[in-house]
Parts: sequence; structure tokens; C-alpha cells
Amino acid sequence: MTSTTARALPSGGWVTDKIFLGLPFAGYLKSLATPGNFAAGLIMAVGIPVIVYRFAYGLGASTNLSQTNPWGIWIGFDMLAGVALAAGGYTIATSVYIFGLKEYHPIVRPAILTGFLGYLFAVLGLCADLGRPWNLPVPLFISWGGPSVMFEIAWCVVLYLTVLGLEFLPPVFEWLGWKKALVLATKATIGLTIVGLMLSTLHQSSLGGLFLMAPTKLHPLWYSPFIPAYFFISSIAAGLSMVIVESGLSHRAFKNRIDHHVNLDKLVVGLARGASIVLFAYFFLKLQGVVDGGRWALLATGYGYWFLVEILGFALLPSLVFAYAARRAKVTLIRWTAAWTVLGIIVNRLNVSVIALNWNSPDRYIPNWMEVMVSITLVTLGISAFRWIVNRMPVLNEHELSGIRGS
Amino acid sequence: MIPHDILTLYSAKMIEYGIAIVFLLLFIPFWKYVQGPSAAAVPAHPRVRQPATTGADWFPIPLGLLFHRGHAWARPEPDGLVTVGLDGFAAKLVGPFAAVALPQVGTAIGQGERAWRLVAGDGRAVEMLSPLDGTIAEINADLARTPDAAHVDPYGRGWLFRVRPQRFRANSTNLLSGATARRWMDEAVAGLQRTLSPELGALAQDGGLPLTGMARVIEPDHWDTLARTHLLTEDKEEANA
Repeated sequence: MTSTTARALPSGGWVTDKIFLGLPFAGYLKSLATPGNFAAGLIMAVGIPVIVYRFAYGLGASTNLSQTNPWGIWIGFDMLAGVALAAGGYTIATSVYIFGLKEYHPIVRPAILTGFLGYLFAVLGLCADLGRPWNLPVPLFISWGGPSVMFEIAWCVVLYLTVLGLEFLPPVFEWLGWKKALVLATKATIGLTIVGLMLSTLHQSSLGGLFLMAPTKLHPLWYSPFIPAYFFISSIAAGLSMVIVESGLSHRAFKNRIDHHVNLDKLVVGLARGASIVLFAYFFLKLQGVVDGGRWALLATGYGYWFLVEILGFALLPSLVFAYAARRAKVTLIRWTAAWTVLGIIVNRLNVSVIALNWNSPDRYIPNWMEVMVSITLVTLGISAFRWIVNRMPVLNEHELSGIRGS
Repeated sequence: MIPHDILTLYSAKMIEYGIAIVFLLLFIPFWKYVQGPSAAAVPAHPRVRQPATTGADWFPIPLGLLFHRGHAWARPEPDGLVTVGLDGFAAKLVGPFAAVALPQVGTAIGQGERAWRLVAGDGRAVEMLSPLDGTIAEINADLARTPDAAHVDPYGRGWLFRVRPQRFRANSTNLLSGATARRWMDEAVAGLQRTLSPELGALAQDGGLPLTGMARVIEPDHWDTLARTHLLTEDKEEANA
């Protein structure tokens, strides 16, 4: 042990401190030997070669996609559900910085990180789905397709991913100890939040707008001129629910890092109130879609029953349970309801993009094991990235840069 | 367009307007229900008023110490070792102590893991969490003779042991100091107040120091469970005293 000056903290170098959590490299590798890391490693050991296989041999060899069913779970789950569930970033940032609900400030950073990683891995899923992803710069920079919804979504997602990256810079600069950069990044917060809200409003609804072009392909119970509004409104409930789920899991997994002076339960109750109101309005809007299209008769069919399961079981029910649990401050019930709502959003996006799309075609799409494996791998990579960042950067708590700890 | 033989365009519109009106009529009571007072917002003991003093007034945060949320402190020393103790909150919550069961020299300890036990007069023990990773280099031998020093003078002669740190710079990102530590201490005391009896609340309003053995005053039968909740060691069975 080397002697140090009074109160100075022993340092093992930048890489050791910042990357290896202060452990020597061998010790760091040893600390990775946990059951969770083992499971993640196992998934990646299978999933990453599958991703390589997909890019080496193409979509035909690695998926059950066809000309009739060009969109599978990489669009329905990774892209549509992933983007909706990443909406916590803009909902919480807007609540805090635009609407002035400052008490939710402690959950802004984890919400933005969840949003950033959600979008990042949604885009990676999209790259897997695109036949020739290396041509992505063409619609973005070379051959603009102004009238296309897809053009709007492509630009919007690229810009919003950039905005989320910029919004997450303050904890990165705190971690690096770059005080001047931190001040600059913090000053940009309000502007970035406004731009982020605008972009989210645009592309969350445009992802639903894509299906306006497929009135003959999408089942009439799901097809509606209101579908952009459905996607946008449900994304708010998805974002709030995802933040509730994420905060609960984070506070279990990162007990040492959480800010115990924050009354998380109170915040969770507030988020549940918001989700309850949004889902309540969303349910009635879905009803309007049924009436507007004159779809009553279709409710008494197989697809109709499934539609009822979606709007009653995954919209109205969680709305009422959220309301009950928020009023009685039953935080555990709120967390389970949030998980149920997250599942409901995934069901909705899969219904629209996979299950109820080409519903009358004899050629039904069922994903093969490689498609499922790629999706599971991307989710695992997202969770691993979240853990890596939270274990190093001040995400769940904010530190003072000055003071006894030094910079 | 899907054919339907029941509804005409006009009746469909009527139903749409009807749903909109029903929604608005239901939304008002629903909003009121959702926004109504929650149990969390209602204080458990309405008779307890806000204290005149804050938690950090009762339990001052000494300069130069880094606090772990399990109510232990750590102080880096010039010789590279780190001195560890328990804070005033833990001392008043559990003390006086009949014994303090410390780990032996050479034992490896980990941040956030159980490292020592406070044993009260009734023989029941409460574990506490280590604020850092490292190896025990020296223990405070005086505590074997006068264990209550950790209760009476937790930041001075009641120190517990000295640790050869493994990665203190990384550990320190999970520790609190200055204003952050004062805010955390305020919340720790507020958390205790939410569970305490009106009697102790009255004491708080006097502005005096809190009682010794607060946990026993609040929960005479299950004081050890209460103490574990506040010292973050509640999710493991009590080790044999």
C-alpha cells in the first residue's frame, strides 16, 4: 500500500477506476462471474452468431419473412414495441422540464437512459430487418422521399436518437469529471427536451401512420384513421409504465447506488395516476374507432374476441387497477399493473404489425427460432448496456463533483 | 368498408357523440377518484407535527467523513487505510450496546455486505453493512471492554475498525458527504418519524436530542426488525447473537 496525502483517495489509474470499477483487471473479470452474467453470456453466445448468419446469408435464410409477410417480429417487437416502451424518456423529461413537475427529477436520468437504449436497440433491430441496411444513408441523405411516411420516421428516429444521446451527456460528463462540459450540457437541457418532445410526437404517431397505407391488409378492427393518435397516446402510457417497471427493478438490482432520500414510492404513485388517466382516454378512443368504422359485427368473431382482450384486458383493466392502486398507494400492485401494461403495449404493436396484418391471407407468418433469438439477444444487450452504464455513471443518484471525493 | 346492416351513418355518428359524452361524464368522477388523497399522502400519525429541527440537526454530519446509506461512515487516513464506524443515527437507534461483534483482522469485507453486529442488552443483535471493499487491518480493541463507546462517541473513540481498501475511489461514488449527506440524514430521520409513536414525535418538537434506543421506544417487541429496516439489513434472517 503506497502512502497518500491526507484525505486523498487511493487511485488505480483512469481505466481501473472508471472501467474496471477500481478492481485490477483479473479481479474485475472474476467479479463478472455471476449467474445473471452467465445467462446473458449464454444468450449472446447463441444470438450473436445468429446475427452474423443473418447478415452473411440474408433474410431468406434466417427468417420466415416473405413477399406476403415482409414485416415480422423485428418490426413488430423490436421497432414498434421498442420505440413505444422507450417513450419514458420524453414523457418524464417533458413533465419535469416543461410542465415543472420537479419532484420527478430523480427519475429523469434513468428514464432518458432507458429511452436512449430502447431507441438504439430498436434501430439495431431495424438494421437486422432491412434487406440491405448499408443503404440506410440513401433515403436519409441521397434520395429523399418527402411524401413518404417512412422518410419522416427515418429522419425523426435518427434525430431523436441523437437528441437522447445529447440529453444523457450530463451524467457522462459527471462520470468523466469534465465540469465545463457538464455545465454546457446542463444548459442545453430545456432546448433538447423541447426538440425531443416535438420529434417524439411526430414519429410515435407516424409509426401508426404507416398502417394508414394498408387498409386492405390490416384487420378492420385495428385499422382506423385514428391509428396515429392511438400510437401516440398509448406510447405515453407505455413510457410511464416502463419507467415504473424500470425503477422498481433498478432499486432492487442497484441497492447501493440509489438515492435513499428520494421517496420513490410517492413518485410511482404519481406515475400510476398519469398512466391511469391516459389509458382511460385511450380505451374510449379505441371504442370510437370501432363505431366510426361500423365494426360492431366483427367483435363477435375470433379476431373480435382478441380485440376485446386487448382493449378490455390491456387498456381498461390496467387503467382501473392503476386508479385503485394509486388511490390506496399500493405500490406493489402498481408495479405489477405497469408490467401488465408493458405487455399490453407489446401485444398491441404485434397485433397491428404482425397478428392482424394480412389477417385474411392464407400465408400466415410465424417467426422462426432465429428471429426470436435475435430479438432476445438485442433485449439482453440492452439490459447489459443499462447495467454497465448504471454501475459506472451517476444515473440513479446525482453526485456533487467537488468536495472530498475530488474530481 | 365492412358491410353492416344495423347502423346507418347517422346512428353511427349518434353513438360516437354518445360515447364522447359518456366518456366526459365518466372522466370527471374518474379524475377525482384518481387524484384523491392517497394513503401515502396521509401521515400515519396526524398528531405528530413537523419537527422544529431537521435530521441533520440531531445527527450532525462531521466534515471529512463519507457516509454509507446503511448508516456507517468511512474516513480515508494518511497511511492509506480507511477508518470505519457507525453514525449517530445507528448509535441512537440501537444503543446502548452490550457488545459490538467485529470481524477478525484479515477478514475480507465488501461494500453493501454485512460486516459487523451491534448486540443490545436483551441479547438481540442487528447487523450493519460495510461502506467499502477491503480487508480488515485493525480493530478497535477498546470496544471489547467498553462497547458502549460506539454509542456514546461513534465518531471518536467508538470507531470500529480500519480497512485496507481494495478500490476506495470506486466505492466512494456510492458514499455521501456534505449537503448530499445532510439531505440523506434528514430523510432518514423523516422515515423514522413516519413510523414512530406520538410520544417520540413530541420529543422531536422540543428540539432536543432523540432518545437512546429509539427502536425500542417505537417498537418494544420488534425493535430489531425496525432497526434492520433502517440499517438496510432487513432482508436477511438475524444471525445468532
